[in-house]
Amino acid sequence: MYNLILEQGLEWEEEVGCKLIISVASGKGGTGKTTIATNLALSAGYCQLMDYDVEAPNASFFLNPDIKHVKKVTIKHPYFLKETGADFSKCAEFCNYNAVAVVKSEVVFFPELCHGCGGCLLVGPEGAVREKDVIVGEVEKGYADPGINFFKGNLKPGSMRTVSIQSELDKSLEKSGLVIIDCPPGNACSMVFAVKDSDYSILVTEPTPYGLNDLLISIEVLKNMNIPYGVIINRDGIGNDEVENYCKRNNIKILLKIPNDKEIAKFYSRGETLIEYDKSWKSKFESILKEIEKEIGR
Amino acid sequence: MEQRWEESDDICKNSHSCLVIIYNLFYWEVDMKIAISSSGTSLDSNVDPRFGRCQYYIIYDTNTDSFEYVDNESRQAMGGAGIQASQFLVNKNIEAVISGNIGPNSYRVLSAASIKIYSGVTGTVKDAVEKFKKDELKGTSAPDVQSHFGAGSGMGRGGRL
Amino acid sequence: MKQLTIISGKGGTGKTTVASNFIKLARDHVAVDCDVDAANLHILLNPDIKKKEEFIGGPVAEVTGECINCGKCEEACRFDAISNSETDIEIDSVRCEGCGVCEYVCPVNAIELKSGRQGDYYISESKFCTLVHARLNPGAENSGLLVAKIRNIAEDTADKNSKELIIIDGAPGIGCPVIASLNGVDYALIVTEPTISGISDFIKVFEVTKFFNIKTFVCINKYDINLDNTNKISDFCNKNKIELIGKVPYDDKVSVYLSNKKFIIDDSSSEAGREITGMWKAFSSYIYPG
Repeated sequence: MYNLILEQGLEWEEEVGCKLIISVASGKGGTGKTTIATNLALSAGYCQLMDYDVEAPNASFFLNPDIKHVKKVTIKHPYFLKETGADFSKCAEFCNYNAVAVVKSEVVFFPELCHGCGGCLLVGPEGAVREKDVIVGEVEKGYADPGINFFKGNLKPGSMRTVSIQSELDKSLEKSGLVIIDCPPGNACSMVFAVKDSDYSILVTEPTPYGLNDLLISIEVLKNMNIPYGVIINRDGIGNDEVENYCKRNNIKILLKIPNDKEIAKFYSRGETLIEYDKSWKSKFESILKEIEKEIGR
Repeated sequence: MEQRWEESDDICKNSHSCLVIIYNLFYWEVDMKIAISSSGTSLDSNVDPRFGRCQYYIIYDTNTDSFEYVDNESRQAMGGAGIQASQFLVNKNIEAVISGNIGPNSYRVLSAASIKIYSGVTGTVKDAVEKFKKDELKGTSAPDVQSHFGAGSGMGRGGRL
Repeated sequence: MKQLTIISGKGGTGKTTVASNFIKLARDHVAVDCDVDAANLHILLNPDIKKKEEFIGGPVAEVTGECINCGKCEEACRFDAISNSETDIEIDSVRCEGCGVCEYVCPVNAIELKSGRQGDYYISESKFCTLVHARLNPGAENSGLLVAKIRNIAEDTADKNSKELIIIDGAPGIGCPVIASLNGVDYALIVTEPTISGISDFIKVFEVTKFFNIKTFVCINKYDINLDNTNKISDFCNKNKIELIGKVPYDDKVSVYLSNKKFIIDDSSSEAGREITGMWKAFSSYIYPG
């Protein structure tokens, strides 16, 4: 059993207790990651909740945090001093993203394709390439009752720098205490980035062939990363028992089943949590935390 | 073209530049290498409606009426297909491009190199070349999509012929 | 030939439900599943795979030579992908973005950028049309590149076979794969739901389609679970000149049909099915004139 001392606001005091980072992920979108993550955070009371779904962050709608601080996330873009008459073709040749083109001594720059790697500065004509900061999104820090330190990443629509925002969130990841990470959907790099520091991952799925298909891929990702996992089946009843049978056959722990219920859907639509819908959910989520602690020996 | 230069020199050196201008007015549109986005490798192939992601470019030399086709190796690039393709064509000394839809990325690179752009062109490559030679194609002065961003080339078909 | 991408911003709003039923209703079309790391259309459509190809993704840096531990690569890497221990350097392939800076700065040429197989893509024939789909390796990067690849293939197929329409099932979110799904399309259909999360994500994804100047349609799925929110979405559509072409009621039968690999439009008693059919009729007037 771990024990946290938490001060309201941004600063963490010296902790007594073990680190436990739990990510909540799902290959398929819309299965209920945010529902699980936010309800877990509320039942734990004291924890850090981080919304790594920076393209479509939704946890704040359920926790209503008081945002204390917003930090812009920037990357460095090159700019070319054309008046020097320098030849920038090496920059165009070097760029792996086609963000720089040089035709007939004219340099054309495409900011939306630039990753900010700094290559232009390195390979370009000395003194003729400079860099400037460009905003690709932001990270918000706040506090939500009853004791949740809340962090959320927000990617600027049109930018492709998901990982830059997630990277900035990494800097706020605490090394002790309970951390819950609300992951983006899918099984590709933004999901991998969100789960990479987890001690345990909860995979949320729906009991359909699609839920199962995407669950299997997520399991492969976690296995490759040596992250232990368990499953939560949401909207139980809308499909079949393929997911449940698969879990049973493969000794995968089913941590919880949430029944399909139009009333729950209505509550969700208003940004209300399961615990607000029915207080008895709190003990169910507390049990999940206890089970996870037990399984990984904390 | 060279032969005509010699003739003009012989005739009158003073009016040399005058004749150059006259010749240019009549002939410059025709004597050049043009690139046409194409779905296939022959002149009977259809103009490919995509510029950056087409399968082939037919490079036609209107001076010699000869042509070659090249694979478009840039087509797989995620956001920069048109950019890469445009640079490639500029390096082949193209002076004009003909295609269906030319997006803002390609447009920027081609304009920077002062390449003449003809979009909204349909039919076969052969038709397009003929129309070009007869000066029946209307040049494009803006990308087919007004977008600040670039990676899309979305709306409409241009429809200019 | 026109292209329609079905997206949502938020996952689970019903993209695949709408896409699959549209695929059944359309004619002279090709379909692409651009949700490459969690592809679902092939499960429902059960097509015959005609061609399978390897997807080679973008390059990733690898230590291939004798590292002298000078640390220049670690210093130069902007993505925190390189860590220098006492004996060696380690390149984190998750963080590596394949820019080539480390390869450039290494004084002993010990680093190389290498491309590898990151998945597969397939050209398949379903009962209704050709389906181009893919499977990105678990945890792989370059999902956007794979989307661009299969879209290219779909365009070639449509072009070769004189198809009128490409229906693209997009990925959730607003990142690279979504942008690659929208690149160059004529129409976007945003499938949303009347929830606070759904509305927020709908507005974000609309900002992306607006940026690309793509004609946008909207469908509100499960509209009756929150009529206030449905009205909010409707008002937003009016103000921003987005065409609202459908309001599908909550119907558990939709999920049941989907799970049984059936099409809800085939159930004449389902209002949801009828609404989707109506949406298709409204949309198809843009594709098949007359």
